[in-house]
Amino acid sequence: MSRKRAMIADTFCLTKRRRSAADAVTGDSHEGAADIRSSLQKLMTLFSRKLFNDSLPPVVLKHQLYSLHSDKTSVDKQLNELRASGELLMFQLGFDSEAFALVFAEDYRAKVLQGEAGRETLETVEKFLDKMIPGCSDLSFNKEKMLKEFLFTDSEITRLVKSGVLTVRDVGSRWLSIPNSGKFIKYFIKGRKAVLGMVKKSRYGEILKTELEGRRTTSHVKFQMKSHVHDIVGAELVECIQTTSGTLLRYVDGNDN
Amino acid sequence: MLSFLNARQSGLDDPVRLRRAESTRRVLSLELNHNRDVARVHGNGINTLDIEVIDGRYMLSGGSDGVIVIYDLENNSKKLQYSCKTVCTVGRSSRHVHKFSVETVQWYPHDTGMFVSSSFDKTMKVWDTETLKPAEEFQFDGNVYCHHMSPVARKHSLIAVGTKDPKVQLCDLKSGSRIHILQGHRGEILSVRWSPRYEHILATASTDSRVRVWDVRRASGSLFTLDQHNGDKSKASSEAVNTAHNGRANGLCFTADGLHLLTTGTDDRMRLWNSATGENTLVNYGKVVNESRKGLKFTVSRDCSPEFVFVPCGTSVAVYGLHSGELITMLRGHYNNVDCCEFHPDYQELYSGGKDCNILAWVPVLRQPDIEDEETNSKRGGTQAAVNPAFEDAWSSDEG
Repeated sequence: MSRKRAMIADTFCLTKRRRSAADAVTGDSHEGAADIRSSLQKLMTLFSRKLFNDSLPPVVLKHQLYSLHSDKTSVDKQLNELRASGELLMFQLGFDSEAFALVFAEDYRAKVLQGEAGRETLETVEKFLDKMIPGCSDLSFNKEKMLKEFLFTDSEITRLVKSGVLTVRDVGSRWLSIPNSGKFIKYFIKGRKAVLGMVKKSRYGEILKTELEGRRTTSHVKFQMKSHVHDIVGAELVECIQTTSGTLLRYVDGNDN
Repeated sequence: MLSFLNARQSGLDDPVRLRRAESTRRVLSLELNHNRDVARVHGNGINTLDIEVIDGRYMLSGGSDGVIVIYDLENNSKKLQYSCKTVCTVGRSSRHVHKFSVETVQWYPHDTGMFVSSSFDKTMKVWDTETLKPAEEFQFDGNVYCHHMSPVARKHSLIAVGTKDPKVQLCDLKSGSRIHILQGHRGEILSVRWSPRYEHILATASTDSRVRVWDVRRASGSLFTLDQHNGDKSKASSEAVNTAHNGRANGLCFTADGLHLLTTGTDDRMRLWNSATGENTLVNYGKVVNESRKGLKFTVSRDCSPEFVFVPCGTSVAVYGLHSGELITMLRGHYNNVDCCEFHPDYQELYSGGKDCNILAWVPVLRQPDIEDEETNSKRGGTQAAVNPAFEDAWSSDEG
């Protein structure tokens, strides 16, 4: 036990730092954002389009990123940068105050317009997308703000709600939302419950990550197993333990799900 | 380590830098040590611990059985193995003991002649350490969850008390009056803390999910309420606007310099705030399991280069980096839930108490001497310098 590898503070690793400082300084910020973007794209490939008949853009949940990157604060910071630049959109899904969905702006725009083609609400939605998407990175919109700043009329707001781009939050304010996302949320919650049940029922309440990914999915689990695993690890519904045979997922007691 | 000593000696580095680096190294190597333990006196769980500020020698503990114990932490015996003994206790047999569980104890910040304890029997008692009799007793209408005296106060001697009542009461030690109240919360007050930087700034956390910061000199309400979304009203549902947490806010701790404030809540989150502006620094600590129905008592390290937060999480104490938010380690050792922890700034030790009636001392592991040196020392009898037999030669002598 005396030979256990001790944790060393950064200040004591001076020599290593000096050598890598030179090349890290130039490429650091770009590397960070690109890192997140590539992880986002990787997670979006796990999203199955066929399931929703191609009507939804690929959606990733924010906490799925936490399972890929260890430093949550830097992930949050980089996501905020991407949102400020207008590349990424964040949505508040209804079921959990901490669960946020991320969609690339171009994908969102393409899918929404594709869904609206031929309907009478098309122009209003186009106007909304042109005004809202590049400028503000809010998750919900207040009625006065929509009327005064963005110059929408009441009937236009009703049309937007009808088309699914806005959903009701409260008297006088609306959440930004993804049209046709109800099915997604339903399958997601069902699948998460089923996967957690699989972990719980395993022997001792724990299972190797590779084994879980290889298991056959029941009819309740519509999404890919990998995406559910990222979700439960990132939301800390299971404890992730490194063992010599790989990562072990142990069910954490006291979960509501 | 040698490079730090050299730099300090030659004046390249500030003297503080060596101290900080060494403190950080010691905190990172905290471990349960069989050489050090604390005498077990409580018959029921331990709710609160406090180490006095002046010497760091005496520690107070308050338990669920109403018993208050004072321990001597200093090791005066020449042996390595040391058990912190009790100096005195206010036991169940004392006439003035609290009837129900003691929730908070605190030493008087300026000397150890006095300490204050508050309990679920709706009283707060100011004790004389010499005679162990209460010098003053304050009665309240509801359970007293917490109290705090300002560690830096010179101009006032107010004790802030958080009870079941949404009004924060300020009791004056000098006059015994309690007319000053702070109104603004809508739920029970689970935690109160004075700022270690300004003697008039007070932070309070309540079950209505709000954390307010007050200046007690002001006649009108709080200075500001901590908002987890930093004023971005679009992020939360409309009921959650202007709240610090999505559940009950039940823990407060200022950093040692008073510039940042940490809050924990039953939404399993811990947040770091800038205490001057009330801005959420958005450091993401992940899920900090918090099921406490009363206040949570946690602590921050002092004088370390990246500061550390020690939070009781279930049956272990979690150590997080303060500004990075990463989980450094979990200190496991208790048999049941941990309720409180206290950091000893001079020796970088952590004392934690919990429902298993134990107080565990987490001590930094010193550098172990190499096994080779130990053997040669025992062979020759310790006084000579330990020399590796490979470097010994036959012609040099030790004298001269």
